[in-house]
Amino acid sequence: MMLCPRCDSKTVELMTKAPVDDAWEVYLCNTCCFSWRSTEGDEIKDPEKYDKRFKINPAEVS
Amino acid sequence: MTFKDLREFLAILEEEGQLIRIEDEVMPEPDLSAIGRAAPDMENGPGVFINKVKGYKYSVVLNVHGSWQNHALMLGLPKETSVKEQFFALDKAWSAYPIKPVWVENAPVKEVKITGGINLFEVLPLFRVNKYDGGFYISKALIVSQDPDDPDNFEKQNAGTYRLQVKGKDLLGILPLPFHDIAIHLKKAEERNQPLPIAICLGNDPVLNFMSSTPIEYFQSEYDFAGAIKGEPIELTKSEVGNLDIPARSEIVLEGYIIPKERKIEGPFGEFPGSYSGARLMPEVRIHTITHRINPIFENLYLGIPWTEIDYLMALNTCIPLYRQLKRDFPEVVAVNAIYTHGMGVIVSTKSRLGGYGKAVAMRLLSTPHGMPYSKIVIIVDEFVDPFNLQQVMWALTTRVRVDKDVVTIPYCPGMPLDPSSEPAGMHTKLIIDATTPVAPDHCRETELIEIPEKTDFWMNYLKNLRQRKGGTNDAMSQM
Repeated sequence: MMLCPRCDSKTVELMTKAPVDDAWEVYLCNTCCFSWRSTEGDEIKDPEKYDKRFKINPAEVS
Repeated sequence: MTFKDLREFLAILEEEGQLIRIEDEVMPEPDLSAIGRAAPDMENGPGVFINKVKGYKYSVVLNVHGSWQNHALMLGLPKETSVKEQFFALDKAWSAYPIKPVWVENAPVKEVKITGGINLFEVLPLFRVNKYDGGFYISKALIVSQDPDDPDNFEKQNAGTYRLQVKGKDLLGILPLPFHDIAIHLKKAEERNQPLPIAICLGNDPVLNFMSSTPIEYFQSEYDFAGAIKGEPIELTKSEVGNLDIPARSEIVLEGYIIPKERKIEGPFGEFPGSYSGARLMPEVRIHTITHRINPIFENLYLGIPWTEIDYLMALNTCIPLYRQLKRDFPEVVAVNAIYTHGMGVIVSTKSRLGGYGKAVAMRLLSTPHGMPYSKIVIIVDEFVDPFNLQQVMWALTTRVRVDKDVVTIPYCPGMPLDPSSEPAGMHTKLIIDATTPVAPDHCRETELIEIPEKTDFWMNYLKNLRQRKGGTNDAMSQM
């Protein structure tokens, strides 16, 4: 199961596919609103590698 | 002016050597933001047109405003016009306000209409602007909204630039800060629990983006000012829904509404002070209609550690309103340089009418609508110091400032929350440095300025001519 790289939630959905050539997909986290593209690096896509300074606990956001 | 829209301006940039075209296919990340970072770092930073982005249908243009050369061309001036000359040219154009727009039939922005199955990615080559942004951002939009109490009042209609985070195929997050005009509209709409209709206009005449990032007064129209700068009316048309006035020749218009009383996580976003904003609960926008030109160009803005395009875009348009507001009550003010981080740093040159005048000018600046939250460091220099020449400003600081008398701090003032030194966010301490020469009843040691030698202008021209001539050194000398 895909997790949100930023808030680790399971509420991830496919937002869209590329309009041309099936070049990539974009995913969206419905909990923290983070989105990312399948062609981005692991430091963006992988919850383990996402920079800890930018991780979010949605419950703490005001 | 010889351009009416973005396409015509790009043609001028290209003719002037200020536009580069990339024909090779590029990746959305990291190429587009890297191009946006590199272009303003180049000498005479050019606009960059990217024809093909992997996975997308349409092209992108970046850095349209991102150099003083492009800025001068936008104002209809020769590209080598100095910043100070651009300041005074813009101030002159300001006096032509208002030049009212005209409404046209068959607006190019209506060439294609999409009213169902909205997917922003089908039309916009969206990309991550900075690595740790919360998503893909639309960072150079002109956003139109009306005052719900007075929707037919053209002047109260607002055309402003606010960041937009893509949160779905037809959903955006928006950041209206309390001191922005759109926040006034939103507050009134939410009091009635009504959605606020907005039109998000992309790929505009560059003068329109210039005005949409200018801090003018609530009762002033960005369109009327854009007309004044261009010396001719802006062409407008009506939105499909909501009766909003939108530029007829924009590339793309997204129509939608701000959802009342709902807040979701927005951010972070790499912001104009060169650091990331936080992530906060902000309103969202539902898009229901898209109109666009055939083969639309998506114009977006990269912003990073200054200077990048945004620093040119909101430089002189921050200076002029502040200059005019000061000049009204302090006619001795000569010029205002507020080009540093959207006016967080300001240098004012003024003649002093009486002792302490420099400080009075600074305090007035700090109580203007823009200066109140934004301006933090204010330096006042004499009328003979060019505030756009930092070498001269440093001379004034080093030779005029009596540190015990001329440096003032005012704690706990309104501040700009995006300034990372604002603590708590939205508060900061103001700093005034009065580097003017004291006049009575203030006094200082007698000092006489060194005069400029006679014939300096003659020799300046002579030396310039000499340098321009190829191998002309001996000829020039023989003419003496």
